[in-house]
Amino acid sequence: MKIVKEVPVQADDPLKSPWRRRTVALASLLVLATGAAACQSGSPTEEGNKGTPKAQGMVSQLNMGDFGGGNAPQRNFNPFSPTRLVTDFTFEPLFVVNAYDCTVTPWLGTSYTWENPAKLVVKTRSGVTWSDGKPFSAKDVAFTYNLLKTAPALDTNGLWSKLTSVTAEGADQVTFAFKEASVPTFTQVSDVRMVPEHIWSAVTDVAKFTNNEAVGTGPYTVKSQNTQQLVLERNPKYWQADKIKVQRMMFKKATGGAEVDKLRLSRGEYDWNAMFVPDIEKTYVAKDPEHNHYWFPPGASISLFMNLTKAPFNDVEFRRAMTFAIDRDEIKNKAQFGYVETASQTGLVMPGQKAWLAPGIANDGKVPYDAAQAKKVLADAGYKTGPDGKLLGKDGKPLPDFSYKVPNGWVDWIQAAQVIQKNLADLGITVDVQTPSAEVHDKDRGIGNFDMFFGVHGGGCNIYQAFQHPLGSSQTAPIGKVAPTNFIRWKDAKTDALLEELAKAPDEAAQKTVVHQLEQIMVDQVPVVPLWYGAQWFEYRSEKAIGWPNAKDPYAGPGNQLIIMTKLRPNPDYRGK
Amino acid sequence: MRYFVSRVMFFVLTLWAAVTLNFIIPRLQPGDPAQTMVQRLAGQSEAIDPAAIRAVQIMLGLPTGSIFEQYVDYLQAVVRGDFGISYTYFPYTVTHMIAEALPWTIVLVGVTHVLGFVIGTLLGAAAAWKRNGKFDTVVSLGSTFIGTLPFFWIALILIYVLAFTLRWFPEAGGYSGEIDPAWSWAFFGDAIYHGILPALSLLITAPIGWIMGMRNNMVHTLGEDYTRLALAKGLRQRRVALTYSARVAILPNVTGFALGLGTILGGTVMVEMIFGYPGMGKLMFDAISNRDYPLMQTIFLFTTIGVLLANLCADILYGVLDPRVRREAQT
Repeated sequence: MKIVKEVPVQADDPLKSPWRRRTVALASLLVLATGAAACQSGSPTEEGNKGTPKAQGMVSQLNMGDFGGGNAPQRNFNPFSPTRLVTDFTFEPLFVVNAYDCTVTPWLGTSYTWENPAKLVVKTRSGVTWSDGKPFSAKDVAFTYNLLKTAPALDTNGLWSKLTSVTAEGADQVTFAFKEASVPTFTQVSDVRMVPEHIWSAVTDVAKFTNNEAVGTGPYTVKSQNTQQLVLERNPKYWQADKIKVQRMMFKKATGGAEVDKLRLSRGEYDWNAMFVPDIEKTYVAKDPEHNHYWFPPGASISLFMNLTKAPFNDVEFRRAMTFAIDRDEIKNKAQFGYVETASQTGLVMPGQKAWLAPGIANDGKVPYDAAQAKKVLADAGYKTGPDGKLLGKDGKPLPDFSYKVPNGWVDWIQAAQVIQKNLADLGITVDVQTPSAEVHDKDRGIGNFDMFFGVHGGGCNIYQAFQHPLGSSQTAPIGKVAPTNFIRWKDAKTDALLEELAKAPDEAAQKTVVHQLEQIMVDQVPVVPLWYGAQWFEYRSEKAIGWPNAKDPYAGPGNQLIIMTKLRPNPDYRGK
Repeated sequence: MRYFVSRVMFFVLTLWAAVTLNFIIPRLQPGDPAQTMVQRLAGQSEAIDPAAIRAVQIMLGLPTGSIFEQYVDYLQAVVRGDFGISYTYFPYTVTHMIAEALPWTIVLVGVTHVLGFVIGTLLGAAAAWKRNGKFDTVVSLGSTFIGTLPFFWIALILIYVLAFTLRWFPEAGGYSGEIDPAWSWAFFGDAIYHGILPALSLLITAPIGWIMGMRNNMVHTLGEDYTRLALAKGLRQRRVALTYSARVAILPNVTGFALGLGTILGGTVMVEMIFGYPGMGKLMFDAISNRDYPLMQTIFLFTTIGVLLANLCADILYGVLDPRVRREAQT
């Protein structure tokens, strides 16, 4: 063992468990002689591994958290299946949309143009090969999209409700034809992971295909998998292999549940994980302040949704009072461990989407807590307070008690609702926090059987959807009928017109002018009251690898695995294996 | 004979009721499994695209036809042994998932059940024979004390001391993952190593019921005339204890043991959850928390059939062992 330890950044050592140590010592000697490649297959003399790069300048292994598939993960590398295991490192999209600032990075596609708002032309990358050695071409791209047409069960973005055809022209161009102006669909088009035609064309029922061989273009291939762990190995044929500095990724199932997993995290057994940990500074960072880090960038807006078909919620002044009435910082600190950021009234995710913020909006659109202002707005609008301190409606009668529905067991949300209950009590409004089961909550939400609840919207880079889902009149339904996403029943001709315009806006400048006006509607009309951003969990250790995205260098979101893998590099100070 | 026929009839009737309840209960649940699945995979704080829910609905396939047709289809499928595809582990079948989990549970719970019964019964018999002695005091008081401790607490203490602090045993899981499941000694060794802590935690609590039952029964039989006669005849102590007293006292324990065997199929949810053990209990927990109706239905069905079969066996065994029962049924 000693020999190996004295050599810095030594060849990878795949055999970690203590009972194999002796084998390791022996193997390590061989490694010194034959290079790292030999060791991967476990047979030092095996031919055919000569192309694998040397371990010099390479992180030998990153220990990862969960790999999906529930508690008893079954082999499933179908990148479209909702029950798949980790496929993000093996299959690649045409473009990677940066989840943090929404910039587009060319990936298997090199460039795209909207010839008109219903026709998208994408140039695909040449010189890319599948991990089985066959060449990748535009034909594979067209095949992949058409596959989703034949298997609607896999079309999780509903692409074919908008597409009419996807065709390849030559080896490096693909044309997407849409039924109508669909510029915002770009984020969903680029979300699809490419699969090889020469394998998938032989599959009869793709919805049930488990794709055991997992042939993709990505930086990693599947080395082994059982219900406890998944091992991914660096793909030496990867088209930008020179940027990939991690040899192996070892995913471990959190078999002991959340408590055991937290203990493992605090022990430093994960180099990269995405889990909720209470009091993370103390339970994780403090254990190794030099190497243990976290970054919880903001995601979707979690907002106060009100039933706009009822008084007083149908009154814009009442809703405007709500923006001042709620102490978002108390929710952030009491209910959310201070992990989240308070949300902007614009509906954007700040600060990542700052480039989309309308120029006239102050303070990123974040409304400070101001109970006096809330009272003033209500008083000015004609709401009086009764002798018992209860707020009266405009008709002079006391307002009824309002229900606030939160799914049972969503503890942090229930706490947040209690903060709102307290805040509104200060204004003389009585809120009754109810916790039905998630199923009942969702059903009531759909049919409009509620006064208030927490709605989730936006968060992604599809800014069209961020406004269209909660506010588009096509997404709503009368009370009693199920509304797809516009639960609050917002019906506004101007909003619809702007959304239609946004769908046609071909370039970013044109899109921004429309989005600015939508933000203005959010600020002026207050259809919903954004409170905080759901956090994306992300813990990482800089012991072996450096170059992680973080608050200081937010080059990608934690979910942009492909970008992150091209940026990670070995920590020069690391003396282990 | 009438006794046995009535038992079998009862078995068939309860089985039908169980199968039918299994059909009805999931259909009374509110909510859409597709929506639950998408929400669970996305997380609580993510906006959900209705297109994703639609795709999952198509994938899982909605039941077609009237409720009666569905019921007939369901009965036929049950008879064929076709339990459908699991929602959580799509596209793997329910049968596949159960086949994977069942051996773990049968070995862990089966072995501890038998060991717990043997140890408990022997300790109980010994305590009764030397009743009011030092041994009896330790065993009776000790088991009463341990019996008051919550099971999960014992399990967590074991994990904390033996796994986290001393690191003698792995804290969770059925095997370490470095060895793929296979028919190899390395894998079996690893699986047994992982099974020791869960088995230990089960073995601490499992014998208690048997100890108390056996001790009380045997104290009773020791006071019976036939035991006194045996003692008066001058038979050896050992023979009196085992053949005269214990043999009769064990009867209720045997029934309990047989009934317990039936519940093995359902696994032990608590122990499997705490130790992350890949058995039936964990699978059942998965199924329930994910609204995986096909999997849930089948596990409940298996558990019910197991309990009913065990019940039938116990009834029949009792009839064989105790002539009084048969005679009562005839009158």
